[in-house]
Amino acid sequence: MVEVELRGVWKRFGDFVAVKNVNLRFPDGKFSSILGPSGSGKTTLLYLIAGIYKPSRGEILFDGEDVSQLPPNKRNVGLVFQNYALYPHMTVYENIAFPLTIKGLPRGEIEERVHSVARMLHIDELLDRYPHQISGGQQQRVALARALVKEPALLLLDEPLSNLDALVRLEIRGELKRLQRRLGITTIYVTHDQSEALAMADLIAVIHRGEIQQVGSPEDVYRRPRNLFVAGFIGMPPANLVKATVTRAPAPCVVIAGGGEYCPGEPLASKLEALGLEAVVVAFRPEDVVLGEHPMEDYVSLEAEVYVVETLGRENLVTLRLPDGQAVKAITSPLLNPRPGDKMYVNVEPSKILLYDPETELNIEAIEAAPAARPVSLAEASERRRAAQEED
Amino acid sequence: MQGEGLLAGLLGSLKPRRRRRQPTEELPLASRAVGYTVIAALLAASLPIILSYTLLVELSFSASFIATPFEKTSFTLENWRLFFQGRLAPTAAQIYTPSYIRRMILDTLIVALGVMGVVVASATPAAYAFSRMNFRGRGALMRFLILLHAFPGVALIIGVYAIYVYTYRRLALGLHAGEAALLAYAFLYVIVARASLEIPMSTWLMKGFFDRIPWEVEWAALIDGASRLRVFTRIMLPLVKPGLAALSIFSFMAGWEELIYVVVFLPSKAPTLASYIHSQLSGGAIETAYLPVVAAAAVVYLIPTILFFVFTQSLLVEAAEGAGVKA
Ligand SMILES: Nc1ncnc2c1ncn2[C@@H]1O[C@H](COP(=O)(O)OP(=O)(O)OP(=O)(O)O)[C@@H](O)[C@H]1O
Ligand SMILES: [Mg+2]
Repeated sequence: MVEVELRGVWKRFGDFVAVKNVNLRFPDGKFSSILGPSGSGKTTLLYLIAGIYKPSRGEILFDGEDVSQLPPNKRNVGLVFQNYALYPHMTVYENIAFPLTIKGLPRGEIEERVHSVARMLHIDELLDRYPHQISGGQQQRVALARALVKEPALLLLDEPLSNLDALVRLEIRGELKRLQRRLGITTIYVTHDQSEALAMADLIAVIHRGEIQQVGSPEDVYRRPRNLFVAGFIGMPPANLVKATVTRAPAPCVVIAGGGEYCPGEPLASKLEALGLEAVVVAFRPEDVVLGEHPMEDYVSLEAEVYVVETLGRENLVTLRLPDGQAVKAITSPLLNPRPGDKMYVNVEPSKILLYDPETELNIEAIEAAPAARPVSLAEASERRRAAQEED
Repeated sequence: MQGEGLLAGLLGSLKPRRRRRQPTEELPLASRAVGYTVIAALLAASLPIILSYTLLVELSFSASFIATPFEKTSFTLENWRLFFQGRLAPTAAQIYTPSYIRRMILDTLIVALGVMGVVVASATPAAYAFSRMNFRGRGALMRFLILLHAFPGVALIIGVYAIYVYTYRRLALGLHAGEAALLAYAFLYVIVARASLEIPMSTWLMKGFFDRIPWEVEWAALIDGASRLRVFTRIMLPLVKPGLAALSIFSFMAGWEELIYVVVFLPSKAPTLASYIHSQLSGGAIETAYLPVVAAAAVVYLIPTILFFVFTQSLLVEAAEGAGVKA
C-alpha cells in the first residue's frame, strides 16, 4: 500500500532528545515492528510517522514523497493508541463510523463497512454499547476496527496488546497477523515485548534511548545481534554476556574464565587482529548451552558452579557462576536437575559464539573493515611520516 | 446573590434525597449518625432560605400583606391578574401600559441570554486555547485572568461608565443614532460589560473541563481525518457538555440577576425584573408599594432558576463529579 521511509529524523522535547537520527525503511505491505524498552522513544517515533509530532529535523517519506509537514488527517493512516483513545461520548458503532462520517460517505455505505469490519473482529454484538461498557480486549478490537474501517494505507499499532491478559494476547496476536496478511496493509507495530515482535514481525527495528540499534528480520536480531544492547535485550532470557581476554599465540584466541578458550576461524580472526582488541565480550544464548558433567569435544567448555535452578515446566533454567563470579544462564531439559553447588561444564558450540567490542559494544563481525575509519596504529603512522619526509 | 442562594438551597435539599437512594443499611451505625447530622445541618442551614421563599410564594397569592409568617390570609389570584395586566402599582392604575410587564420579562431575558451567549462563546474557545495550545505568555495570561476575576464589579463601574458616556455621546451626537439604536446600544453595553466580569472565571472553569480530555482522543480524531475545527465541534465540545451546561446556567443567572449594571446603564423606562423589584423596595418606595404584586414579580423572577436547575441538574451533578470525561 505504502512504503514508509525515515531519513535522519530527530525529535526534541525542549532539551531532551527523544528520537535521535533515525534512518529506517518500512517495506510496503509488510508487518514491521519497533521494539524497545519503556521510554525508548517508540511512541514518539510512531507519532512522527502518523504526523502527530513534526520532526525537529529530517524527513519522513511515504512512497518517496515527503510528508513531514502534512497534518495527520492528510496522511491516510490508521492508528491504534496505547490506551485505545475511543470517543467516550459515542457508541461503538459511532466510534467505528467516525472516520467515514468525517469523509461524508453515504449512510448506507457507512453502515455496510462498519458492519463488515465489526463482523471481521467479532464485535458486531457490541455496536450499541458505549466504550465504558465493554472490556479492555473488546475496546482494543473497537480501536482496531476504527483504524481499519477507512482502509488506511498504513496501520500503526502502539502496544495494542499490553493491557490484555496473556491468553487473550496470544489469541489476538494470531488474529492480527492473519488480518494484516489478508489485507496487505503496511503495518508498524510498536512493542516492548520481544516475543511479540519475534512472533509477528517480518522486520524488527530495535530502538534504545531514541536510537535505532538494529534493523533486521527476527532471525537477524535473534541470531546476529548487532550490539550488546540487542544481545542483552532479545531472548527469553537474553544472551549470556561474558567478559573475556584476547591472547595472541600467535593467532588470536579468546580466553574465558572457567578454562574456556575459543580460537575463531577466518574472517573473524583477522578482524580481531585488525582491531587490536585486548578484551572482548563473549555472547551466547542460554538455549545454545549444553550443560554436562564433562567438557565436550569441539565445544568451548567453561567450568562453572550451579547457583539456582528454576523449573519452567517444559525446560529448566539453570544459573551458574564462572570461577570469576560472572553469571551464565543455561536452558536444559527438565530431566537434568543439578543441585546448587554442583560443578558442571557449560559447553557451547563455537559457531554459536559471538564476539563484541567492549568499547563500541558492536558485534565484531558487523564492524565494517574500513581502515580509514580506524585510528592509524603508531607503527603505521611513523612509517608514513618517514615516507613523507623522504619525498621532500 | 438571590439565585445562587436558591441554587444552594435546592442543592441542600437535593443532597439528602440522593443519599437516601443509596443502601444506607450497609453503612455502619457511626457513619449513619454522621450522615443524619450532616442532613440535619444542611436542612438547618437552608431553612431560612426555604422559609423566605415559601413566604414569597404565599404572599403572591394572598389578598393582603402578611405581617407575620403565621397570620391567616385569604387565597386570591388577584395579584397575578394585576401583574400580568401590568398594573404593577394599583394606586396609579390609570397610567399603566399593558405591554409593560411582557417588556420587562423580555428585557430581563435579553440581558440574561446575552450575557450567557457572550460568556459561553468567548470563554469556551479561550479555555480550549489555554488548555491545548502553547503560545507565548500563556502562563502570565492565565495568572492575569485570576487577577481580573478578583476585581469587584462595582469598583470597575466608574471606568465602565466613563467609556459608556463617551461612546454613547459619540453615537448620539456624532452619528445621530436614533432612539432605538441607542437603546440597543445600551443593552449591548450592559450585556458585554456584565459578561466580561464572568469571562475570567468561566475560562478557568472550562479549562478544567478541557484539561480532563486525554490528548489521545483529540489526536485520534485528527488521525481519523477530522480537521481541527471538526475535532473541536465533534469531539471536544460534546465531551465538555457538562461544563458548558454549568457555564450556561451560571452566566445566565448572572445576567438574569444583574442589578447594578442594569440600573446604571439601561434607561429607567426599560427595567428588568431585578431592577423593577429593586425600584419598588428602595428609597422609601417600599412604604407605598403594593407588595403582593411585587411578590408575584419576584416569583416570576425565580422561575428560570428553577427551570434551569430542574432540566440540567443531572448535567450539573455530572459536572461536579467530572463523570463526563472518562477515556
Ligand atoms: N511531550 C513530551 N515532552 C517531553 N518529553 C517527552 C514527551 N513525550 C515523550 N517524552 C520523553 O521521550 C521519551 C520517549 O517517550 P515515548 O513515549 O516515545 O516512549 P515509549 O518507548 O513509547 O515508552 P513506553 O513503552 O513506556 O510507552 C521518554 O523519556 C519520555 O519521557
Ligand atoms: Mg509508548
